[in-house]
Amino acid sequence: MLMPYLLGAVVLVGLPALLSLILAFTRYDGMSAPVWVGWFNFRIVLANPVDLLFPISLYNTLYFIILAVPMRVLSALALAMWLNRRGRGVGLYRTAVYLPTIIPDVAYALIWMWIFNPLYGPLNLILTALGLPTPGWLADAEFAKLVFVVMAAFQIGEGFVVLLAGLQNIPPEYYAAAAVDGGSTWQQFRYITLPLLAPWLLLLTLRDIILSSQNIFTANFIMTNGDPYYSTLFLPLLIYEEAFDRMHFGPGSAMTVLLGIVTAALIGFILSIVGNWGETHVD
Amino acid sequence: MRNQLINFGLLMIVLFTSACGLGNTSDPVTFMVFGEPAELKAYQDLVDAFQKQNTDIAIELIHIPSQGDYRKRLAADLVGGEPADVVLINYRRFSGLALKNAFEPLGPYLEKSSELKYNDFYALSMRAFSINEQVVCIPQNSSSLVTYYNKDLFDAADLPYPIAGWAWDDFISTAKALTLDTDQDGRIDQYGAGVEPILIRVAPFIWQNGGKVSSERALTLADPLELEAVQWFVDWQVKHHIVPDAVEEKAESSESRFINGRTAIYFNSRRFVPTFREITTFDWDVAPLPVGRSEFTILHSDAYCLTSASQNKESAWTFIEFANSATGQKIVAQSGRTVPSLIQVAESESFLDPNAKPEHSSVFIDVIPFTLRLPQQANWADIEEICDEELQRAFYGNATVMEAMQSAVSRALPLFTENE
Amino acid sequence: MSIKQSTARRTARAVGFHAVSILVSALFVLPLIWMFAASLRQPGLPPPRSIEWLPAPLVWSNYVRVFQILPLGHYVFNSLLVAGATVPITLITASLAGFAMAQLSRRGQDRLIILSVILLIIPTTAVWLARFILFRSLGLFNTHAALIAPSIMGSSPLFVLLFFWSFRRIPLELYEAARMDGASPLNIWWRVALPLSGATIVVVSILTFLLYWGDFITPLFYLKSQTLYTLPVGLRQLQELDRTNWPLLLAGSVVMTLPAVLLFAVVQRFFLQENRLTGIYGQ
Repeated sequence: MLMPYLLGAVVLVGLPALLSLILAFTRYDGMSAPVWVGWFNFRIVLANPVDLLFPISLYNTLYFIILAVPMRVLSALALAMWLNRRGRGVGLYRTAVYLPTIIPDVAYALIWMWIFNPLYGPLNLILTALGLPTPGWLADAEFAKLVFVVMAAFQIGEGFVVLLAGLQNIPPEYYAAAAVDGGSTWQQFRYITLPLLAPWLLLLTLRDIILSSQNIFTANFIMTNGDPYYSTLFLPLLIYEEAFDRMHFGPGSAMTVLLGIVTAALIGFILSIVGNWGETHVD
Repeated sequence: MRNQLINFGLLMIVLFTSACGLGNTSDPVTFMVFGEPAELKAYQDLVDAFQKQNTDIAIELIHIPSQGDYRKRLAADLVGGEPADVVLINYRRFSGLALKNAFEPLGPYLEKSSELKYNDFYALSMRAFSINEQVVCIPQNSSSLVTYYNKDLFDAADLPYPIAGWAWDDFISTAKALTLDTDQDGRIDQYGAGVEPILIRVAPFIWQNGGKVSSERALTLADPLELEAVQWFVDWQVKHHIVPDAVEEKAESSESRFINGRTAIYFNSRRFVPTFREITTFDWDVAPLPVGRSEFTILHSDAYCLTSASQNKESAWTFIEFANSATGQKIVAQSGRTVPSLIQVAESESFLDPNAKPEHSSVFIDVIPFTLRLPQQANWADIEEICDEELQRAFYGNATVMEAMQSAVSRALPLFTENE
Repeated sequence: MSIKQSTARRTARAVGFHAVSILVSALFVLPLIWMFAASLRQPGLPPPRSIEWLPAPLVWSNYVRVFQILPLGHYVFNSLLVAGATVPITLITASLAGFAMAQLSRRGQDRLIILSVILLIIPTTAVWLARFILFRSLGLFNTHAALIAPSIMGSSPLFVLLFFWSFRRIPLELYEAARMDGASPLNIWWRVALPLSGATIVVVSILTFLLYWGDFITPLFYLKSQTLYTLPVGLRQLQELDRTNWPLLLAGSVVMTLPAVLLFAVVQRFFLQENRLTGIYGQ
């Protein structure tokens, strides 16, 4: 019964992951046979004195993760808390919040290309009407990355639902007891909500870190392809170009491995902070 | 329980193999092309004409609109081991793949052919698709970079049309006079010119100034004569503002502006003629490029190549032979898409008919003696990509020309040494 | 506090709540509204002078044109075919796996949960390259099978987990009764577990459909023949044909987004309405 799932997991995920690891140490262009080259790929990807595309795209990806993930988790939390109540229309509000999340990737990218269009798009038209400066957004290296952050901030549906479920699992008696003891809203939040939601928040953050580093591919590909001047070159796009455009599967796999290591490091970092946190708040 | 599992497994196998069958295209000769929908029609006509003559060979036409995606598609197909039998490819992308033996050399086929002869074609294009003197692919066109212009906008500004020999300065002053803010709202509504800031557009001007794009060892873009030409090109945007800036280009491409009558001059090759023929709102024509110290332009040539992995080589060759015969080339030429590579067809009415836009198609033939081509190198496509990014950076004012070109030269250096 | 004062305060709070919620909802719905409005714009016009909530003239023919330039109808059909095929396959494999998990010992369950979480965490970029090569050797290039393949492992470990949670909530007595009647595990799955998981089945079906409906990367990698193209790569093709023809591109986006929104309207009641989150999360 478990066979299709486990078999599929091995063949479609496990095996390729392993193969990727091996390919990272070879030179392979997909047409001729692979050649073992040891650490060569890692060296040219990391230490190439002239072409710094990997460091640039790593920086871009980290920039995006560091801005987008907290924004998403915090807004999902805020909205979940805000809409965690009965009332007419609450279902409607929740649906509205979830709506951008279900828009298919390609359509989503095109919509935001339009919204952020520096001359035609509604955003700059609104800014002009308000007398504010109108950046070039995707045409401006300073602002282009922010477009992706904003796009990501609108798709918080899944986090929202998870936190909503988490909030609803907190027995209302806890809050009642706290109110009786004279606890303020803030204290209720800090000592009841936050600790009980902590595992969910943690899971959400970790998952978001991983997804943010990969799901950006479609939007990246459709909207900028790395321009202007590599300021929006994120890692998945670089990996794709290296492997499928220049046919360098070796360095492409090496970059994939490095991306995995960086993600694991980020996760480890977060876990270590949270671990310490848990220890000092044992009461 | 075991039975049910077995049934389940069989169901999976059946689903898989039937789905596999859905995409099976091993029988007809597959022919892959890129281009706008109007160009696609030309190839469709070609395929139809061939099938009428050769009822025993079926052709499947595969169309990928953009050249960028086309390159990735071809690369993926070659990796996949199942590329199309006949592919249309540009000479700048050709060498890398040819050196990897992706194509079956057509030289021997050409020699045995009774329909086609080497000397019937323009030598420049033939050489662009030969490696070490051996013909690998047969070119279908010999196009080059020219000046498209909107006659109505010129008339409205009372300016003379561009003609052969018009100088760099003439171009700048004309374009300046055609860059207008028609409704006085501070935003330019009509641009004098439009161009993509990429290497293949600036190369002719580098050559015209007496420079060259690269040597055997490196890009030479940072040398004095070359820098001068690139600076002149970049000044179109940075100094004279006769072309849209980064923001405006991103909002609406120059190509779109030209088609909608909001740009007076547009630099491109013959490729856009079928699309431009659909324009009804204004009159347009072509002229040679502005001329510097000399009058060079750059070759744009595509060829039909037979992939080594093809299982249908004989049939595929029959199709390529037809496509490059006078009959075949006339069909495609009628759409306007090509400057035929067969000298006889290029000099005939099929191409030169003044009633088919552009009126002065003869311009494309006149400049052939002054057409140069880019080097043949395994990773030329990657080198070009670097040049394009750096050029774009300078063109939109984010770096000085010196900075950008020096960066391009040093970034491309490893790609030159890779070949040794 | 007097009753009048507390009623007044309650009303004020309710009004405040709804006001803020409406604003927030409007913000989230804005991208969709703008997408639709822009799709009705006349192509080729210069930039608008001010914000256009509804363009004039309204060009409905954009929708006709978008189906003429490319065989978009055919692409829609292909997308329906692929996404439709994956739903039954996913339901079977995910529910079988979830069911098997629910029968295991506590330790077995934990181990599989951890496995599923790990699978969720592996970045997709890690499997791109290697899966590409794997599929090549399996002869899956240029087939719909390559797109449908992930459904064999239940499409996503998340779906397996959803079924697992749903089956775990079924009272043990029901399983016992069926077992004592001599039913095989497969029978129990079909006759007892599935019928009691209606909500989960609907949710997984729709989420699966949406997953494949919007999938851009797999068709990008594997499809060559235009006759096999699905909507995401079709839209990309449209973008390549006319990069800045925003009205047409957005019309195509509307075509792509509409089914997603409709399906979402059906499924959202299972996890967004009021407090009936017990639909699939339950306690």
